[in-house]
Amino acid sequence: MSATADFVETVTIDTFDSLVLKSSTPVAVEFMSYGCEHCRLLEPVLQSVAESLGSQVAIARVNIAADQELASRFDIRGTPTLVMFLNGVEVGRAVGPVPTVSGVREAIVGTFDGDARS
Amino acid sequence: MTQALDEPILLFNDACAVCRVIAHWVMQSAEREMGGATLIVRPIGTDPVALRAMNPGLDIWDAYANIHLLMQDGSMKTNGEAVAETLRNLPNTRWLARAFQFSFLGRRPFQSMLDVAYTILADSRPLLGCESCGIPPPWLRPFHWMAQQMAGKPAAKNHSVIAATTVLPGS
Repeated sequence: MSATADFVETVTIDTFDSLVLKSSTPVAVEFMSYGCEHCRLLEPVLQSVAESLGSQVAIARVNIAADQELASRFDIRGTPTLVMFLNGVEVGRAVGPVPTVSGVREAIVGTFDGDARS
Repeated sequence: MTQALDEPILLFNDACAVCRVIAHWVMQSAEREMGGATLIVRPIGTDPVALRAMNPGLDIWDAYANIHLLMQDGSMKTNGEAVAETLRNLPNTRWLARAFQFSFLGRRPFQSMLDVAYTILADSRPLLGCESCGIPPPWLRPFHWMAQQMAGKPAAKNHSVIAATTVLPGS
């Protein structure tokens, strides 16, 4: 995988609260690990979705191999898992999303749209 | 800028049981009688920036996908070439590594066979369990399934999921 612009910000246990829970915009957090083949397949898709969504939705990643505490806190039992946060509250999650731009975009935008309507 | 290395560095995936066993064997085989090692064996780790500092061409996703051997001259060997070079650096397998250099009609048949064998092994690693994905090895799966059932939690769906499943809290 070649080095290109990274539209997905890596968050850690130290930055999770400020960048995710206190964010004024919706945030989709991918719980992943670099050793997971499914996460590898999802990576270019997430980059593409993050670029297309721009400032509408922030997309971040948590490496559970480095931040196991966050994985336990959000009960992550497999990677990749996308967890959507709005105003510091989890509003949905997608486990093992199919690695297509439309599938991931729908999982993220659909969750936030559904939450905005309810 | 590539770091100058005293010995080649073999990177391995420490979240993969098969890789750990192979890395342990390489580590033991690389020990010199008078101390030191012919090869440094190091886990890939979790820091993409630290890997790029070792070699700007080293991408963490690629490092986890297949074997990488960082050479002293700043070059990198991957896949079957890295396996052959690793064997060449181990005192007990140097003789075997010569086979992979054997050339016939401009081709290296044994190296080609090694490349295929490595690709098959690398691709089948997830079937043997993926700790980071939450998938136990096959021999532990029945116990894992029972534990999940007793805890009332469904098993992780990775490696079998074909469609996104969005779960809203409280649903």
